[in-house]
Amino acid sequence: MNRIPLRFHLNDAEIGEFIDSGTTLLSLLRDKLGLTATKSGCNQGSCGACTVLINGAPQLSCLVLAARCEGKSVATLEGVSDNGTLHPLQRAFMDGFAAQCGFCTPGMIIAAKALLDRNPDPDRGEVIDAISGNICRCTGYEPIIDAILAAAAEMRGGKRKSA
Amino acid sequence: MSVALRAAASPREACRHIARRDARLIAGGTLVMNEINNRETVTASLVDLASLRLRSIKIANSRVTLGAMTSMADIAAHPKLKFLKPVVTAIGGPAVRNMATVGGNLHAEAPYGDLGVALLALDARVTLETARQRKTMRLEDFYAQHRKLGAYLVTAVNFALPGANRFFFTKAIRRKPVSASVVAVAAHLPRKGKRLAGPRIALGAMAPHPIRAKAAETALDGKALDETTIAAAASAATEGSAPASDPYASAWYRREIAPVYLARLLAQAAGQKS
Amino acid sequence: MAKQRGRGMASVNYPTGMNLGGDPSQALIHATTTGSFVVTLSSVDLGQGLKTIMAQICAETLGIPTDNVIVDTADTDTGPHCMGTFASRGTHRIGNAIIMAAKEARAVLLEVAAEELEVNAADLETDGKGNIQIKGSPGKSISVLETALAAHFKHGRTISGRGIFLQPRSYPEPETGRMTPATCYAHACTVAEVEVDTETGEVAVLSLKSAYEVGRALNPRMVEQQIVGGAWMGISHALYETTEPYYPDRAHGPVDFNEYLMPGPGDLPKFENVVIERPAPDGPYGAKGVGEMTANSPIPAIANAIYDAVGVRIDSLPITPEKVLRALKAQAA
Repeated sequence: MNRIPLRFHLNDAEIGEFIDSGTTLLSLLRDKLGLTATKSGCNQGSCGACTVLINGAPQLSCLVLAARCEGKSVATLEGVSDNGTLHPLQRAFMDGFAAQCGFCTPGMIIAAKALLDRNPDPDRGEVIDAISGNICRCTGYEPIIDAILAAAAEMRGGKRKSA
Repeated sequence: MSVALRAAASPREACRHIARRDARLIAGGTLVMNEINNRETVTASLVDLASLRLRSIKIANSRVTLGAMTSMADIAAHPKLKFLKPVVTAIGGPAVRNMATVGGNLHAEAPYGDLGVALLALDARVTLETARQRKTMRLEDFYAQHRKLGAYLVTAVNFALPGANRFFFTKAIRRKPVSASVVAVAAHLPRKGKRLAGPRIALGAMAPHPIRAKAAETALDGKALDETTIAAAASAATEGSAPASDPYASAWYRREIAPVYLARLLAQAAGQKS
Repeated sequence: MAKQRGRGMASVNYPTGMNLGGDPSQALIHATTTGSFVVTLSSVDLGQGLKTIMAQICAETLGIPTDNVIVDTADTDTGPHCMGTFASRGTHRIGNAIIMAAKEARAVLLEVAAEELEVNAADLETDGKGNIQIKGSPGKSISVLETALAAHFKHGRTISGRGIFLQPRSYPEPETGRMTPATCYAHACTVAEVEVDTETGEVAVLSLKSAYEVGRALNPRMVEQQIVGGAWMGISHALYETTEPYYPDRAHGPVDFNEYLMPGPGDLPKFENVVIERPAPDGPYGAKGVGEMTANSPIPAIANAIYDAVGVRIDSLPITPEKVLRALKAQAA
């Protein structure tokens, strides 16, 4: 085993851990830190369920070695709500019935947050591109796209589309 | 999984490590981590290129140099590389684009590797280092020879900026807005007056790596881009190609539609104001 | 470039549940000390929304708020028996079992409340907000919480109920073959509009318009969502999904989610859905099953629309661009 020290910023905490150098960020989050919102779907980088933000940009945590996160800032779904108050995206997903089984939902919300953080007023095509690496088997995508647009409108201070 | 991760101190040092059979380079990780996770490869150590400062986009004297660790997202965001935006935004989803690198894309086998298709049409040069030397070669030579190079590391690619409305890209996909290629077509179409001068056409997913459609280039060179020329280029499009059958499409289907996609791309180019 | 548009339609009659060796499901309900009601099932919610619907049915029957119902689907070893979550049977079979169990529990609930209020149980009603009151005189009431506490600590009673719904096995009549393989049937019709690229065989689904007759939509938003998700899956079966893309040649089977093709978020047609409610006499509050049928009618509707657009009849799924292009070439030859 190649045990190495790792320090990084995770949601609102500083994390210091000794890890195996081959550990993926996904495995560190789920298996060691117990943060299981980030899902392990395919381990091949083709489903998007493990999407997290690294320094604000979406990446696939199944393909990221945790050791490469030294000194970086990682955001997962656990950090999206504010002290129990749901993020507008989370509320819009609930109100818009944008989940069935829910397995893709954490990755979808992180992918959507990455979009809205840099583009508060996306058009439908930009939303579709933002979730183009995230597979959903249940919803037919349409409720997800609508929910992201509704959250964006609310965050801009506009009226939400009726739920 | 126990994999040692080592930061590369220099390109040459990285080459010395990967000369060992069980060591691999890791750039964006989208290829090698997939193999490790699925135990397709037994890798004892990874040499991390992130420490090498190879993530850069430089434009000088109308020549673009992309460091090997430059990501697809970096290219998509660059104001002077707008002509490549349709290429890189047709790759992965945003997460993959943040991870996947220029150097890695040159090693992605069909039906992946779309950036390489564009770079081949742009007559890019590849700079690479081995344990002993640095060399620069044409991308098409790199594709033909890289398996025989031994341990090497691509550090950069460079190419001349194409003129406005002279570079075109399209691809047939099976999942919108992005999927791997059924076929990808890139065309660099410089002109002298109304006639094409030294056109370059590259195809993706029509061979294990991107290839030039030389017969189509010949059909276009020195001609005006009209219906007759386009039809001639399209009918020569698949000469020398060797597409594979995979879950996206059969070899037969790829040969059938490569000419259609080339013809449509050329028709789009003909419709552009010069 | 030649793009041809076409329109096709298809209908489906879909049985709710199926003819097994009898098709039963059970439910047990009990009140906690705090007046919440636990519904114990062996049925599974795998995303179809079973827990939500079962909580609604239980709350409606008991006359309490949905928030006060806890649906426990924990364990198929120890829970009351359920045949399973398939055949679009969950809402109908399990829902009926819950109604039966909740009626029994409600009777005990009202008996205990009657003792506390010193009235006749037959004179009581629930207000749906967590209170039990004398009919026509809301001033005299007791909360469900107080009733549950009294049942536990004063009266020594369990507020509980048992329910089962059994669709008995149906054997065919030897002479006619006539049998009753299911209970009620839901119905739908889909009209698909497609655009076919005659040079590449690529098919784009432009719109899917469907009408569904589902008995009663117990949760209209979830019904709508199931119809959209099912329509997407119908497109997927029609045009994309296969483990053997060149069957009977079994080579080139997909090995990951990049290769196992499904429509992406950029492939969505315009969805338009209408739900017609004609309550089924044997359904829980009139509901039929609307689960699996939603992926059915889009498939032949799309195949028919392709035929309408370019005159080629593809009779194996998925209808890949290659199959369409080969058929177009054969048609031209």
